[in-house]
Amino acid sequence: MIGVIFGVIIPYIAVAIFVIGIIYRIINWANSAVPLKVPTTCGQQKSLKFIRRTIYDRFDSPYTKWETVVRMFLEIFFFRSLFRNTRYYLDKQMARDARWLWLFAILFHYSLLLVLLRHSRFFLQPVPEFIEMISNLEAFKGVYIPSLYISGILIVAALFALWFRRLFLSRERTLSLPSDHFALILLLAITISGNILRYFIKADLEAVKELIMNLMTFNIAEAVEVANTIEPIFYVHFFLGSFLLAYFPFSKLMHAGGVFFSPTRNMPNNNRAEIHVNPWNPPYKGLTWEEYYEMYKDQLDEIAEQGYKVKPEL
Amino acid sequence: MEEAEKLKIEQRFPSWRELLKPVTEKDFKPGYYHYSALVRDVKALELPFPREWNPLEKDWKLPPNWKEIFLKKMKEALEKFRSFKLFMDICVRCGACADKCHYYLGTGDPKNMPVARAELIRSIYRRYFTPAGKLFGELAGARDLTEDVIKELYYYAYQCSLCRRCSAFCPYGIDTAEVIWVLRSILAEIGVVHRFSLISIAASARTGNHLGLLPGGIAGALQSIAEDVKEVTGIDIEVPINKKGADILFVAPSADYFATPHWFVCMGYLMLFHEIGLDYTWSTYASEGGNFGTFISYELAQKLNAKIYQEAERLGVKWILGGECGHMWRDKHQYIATMNPPPKTLEDPINPITGTYFENAAESKWVHIAEFVADLIAHKKLKLDPSRNDHWKVTFHDSCNPARAMGLFEEPRYVIKNVCNYFYEMPEHTIKEKTYCCGSGGGLLADEVMDLRMRGGMPRAMAIRYVHKKYGVNYLCTICAIDKAAFPTLLEYWKIPVEVGGMMELVGNALIMKGEKERTMDLRGNPLPGVNE
Repeated sequence: MIGVIFGVIIPYIAVAIFVIGIIYRIINWANSAVPLKVPTTCGQQKSLKFIRRTIYDRFDSPYTKWETVVRMFLEIFFFRSLFRNTRYYLDKQMARDARWLWLFAILFHYSLLLVLLRHSRFFLQPVPEFIEMISNLEAFKGVYIPSLYISGILIVAALFALWFRRLFLSRERTLSLPSDHFALILLLAITISGNILRYFIKADLEAVKELIMNLMTFNIAEAVEVANTIEPIFYVHFFLGSFLLAYFPFSKLMHAGGVFFSPTRNMPNNNRAEIHVNPWNPPYKGLTWEEYYEMYKDQLDEIAEQGYKVKPEL
Repeated sequence: MEEAEKLKIEQRFPSWRELLKPVTEKDFKPGYYHYSALVRDVKALELPFPREWNPLEKDWKLPPNWKEIFLKKMKEALEKFRSFKLFMDICVRCGACADKCHYYLGTGDPKNMPVARAELIRSIYRRYFTPAGKLFGELAGARDLTEDVIKELYYYAYQCSLCRRCSAFCPYGIDTAEVIWVLRSILAEIGVVHRFSLISIAASARTGNHLGLLPGGIAGALQSIAEDVKEVTGIDIEVPINKKGADILFVAPSADYFATPHWFVCMGYLMLFHEIGLDYTWSTYASEGGNFGTFISYELAQKLNAKIYQEAERLGVKWILGGECGHMWRDKHQYIATMNPPPKTLEDPINPITGTYFENAAESKWVHIAEFVADLIAHKKLKLDPSRNDHWKVTFHDSCNPARAMGLFEEPRYVIKNVCNYFYEMPEHTIKEKTYCCGSGGGLLADEVMDLRMRGGMPRAMAIRYVHKKYGVNYLCTICAIDKAAFPTLLEYWKIPVEVGGMMELVGNALIMKGEKERTMDLRGNPLPGVNE
């Protein structure tokens, strides 16, 4: 019974919510208009030939489409803006570079990427060679027995670091909502339970793979059969993962999709060279020259009488 | 000697629950809250619900269906501004922005952290527009929209100068300026607007400029400025006004006609244009480059910036040159051409003196004075004597908008280094894209928020003090009219003996003009270095 609920029904529901939810959110964002081109410019604009632009300027204040693509790439893969981070010291009235948050964030996200890639061995048959390769590489295969996946350990460490920030730094504690703690706790539970499965209470990985392959090909009858043979401990990890999928589209975790849409990052700083069109630009209502002239006729005529110019009288 | 009173920055770290509780009129501090808009301005601009109200009173006389209007306008804004919608959704509260806000640094008020400022409205968004907020309420960081919340939104929406510093540091580019801009426009729909910007917006809608100067006043001011130029240089300068068929329309912020030290910058413009023989004109109708409408709403911004292209078309000019101003360039670089598309009569922006084609202004036809002057200098079209600025040890303050909404960093520096011998940069974390606001931008130049302005200007002031002590800097050069108005007060408050001025003043000092008499004083009337009085 546990196998059917946690191995078949819930995963299906979770994946459905995940897919539909993400599509909904993305369409929802895409449906909002972009009235203005508002890049935040963090580097020298393109202007005159002799005004030098460094490589940083080109990607922090992109002028062309390609430069904008590179800016987004740097933002998404290297957290460019977070790398700029500083910390202000009130006693010295000065800021200093502070890249701890950047480091923890990078560690967490790249570990997550590696972990997810390694998990693809449960979805893909045969397992692609490069997955095997990175798994072997990061595990220092042969050095430790059983081989120890660095990313699996690092991700837990990084999550703790990120959580301790929220728990022990006063400013971050003030800012953190219950949902912020919840997301971190959920991810910690998933990663820790995953590590437990990997190193301590081992599940039958062949069966797990069979279950997932059957789920993916909608062989429901067989999936149910396999699901019932797997140890319950596996379903702790599997359920938490399913829950994360269902939670994802409705939470702040959607920053993963949202960053692509950010108007201050994904638009080029070429406003004066290429005019942006606002789809809902309202008709203009303001003072016209004719109205203005009517109001200040005398004074305007006087300027005209002086030949449209003034000069020093002294 | 009398011991000066020490200013304390008290940092508070309340719980997240407390952060959701609104700050109301009982907690409003003098020096931090803005006066309410004047009835006459609200009426003149045809904004809803003109009435007398006082932020310190319990009853703000909101319309009976204020909540309905607020939520309706908020829903509209979510559809009209992807930035607003996205920024409501994707913040992870990492805190990278927190100590980037000069108001937070100066006041220690937790709600002045950019993330917390946005959370004020985000909590409403969650409650009424997301399933999690509807289901879990406070636990999901959601709260009901009450009159108290409106008061809090008003209080903090006008404690942000829209400088975008937080946006540079946000890993998702969340721009508090966008959020607050939209929030202010929603508040305006239920008749909650502040006084300061609205006075200038109404004046600009009526007369074409924020100061409410009539055509004769502008002509008179330009004449007096030309007279001052004559006193310094001995040269008679003709200043063209409303002249049809000129090559270029020149638009400056209206403070340049009257205020100090803006006045010296205006002298610099006149001297430069005369010296290079530029065929240009001022306009009394398009007499304002600034646009306080950009502090409140899209519609008001659009209302104010339309006149410039209309005037350019009427006068038959080829392109438009813009003066030294901060938020003006957010408007002129990012807004104006979208809000009011330029007329077809304009031509390619080509510098008539050097032949340079300003490719980056190809469509909107707006060129910044720093770009223009830098181009002249690079082509050696100006004779300059930088030693006339030797009494100044200069530092340059990147104004928020030209910095983070335009990327104008090197052009003014190029000009300054060519007209001054002594130029020193402030510390790395306080310039260029990391520049600190003067504390008075975005509609906060009002006198009633003086405490907030002086505290908000603290990080910038400390950076100036640093270069003052280290290099003896005595001149702060800025290219923003609000800076020039705000800094003298700020520097006096923080006891930093540094003068404030603009780039064009330094250019005017250094510019060797044909037929000028031997200069004995700078544009301010100070004796030049090496000259005995």
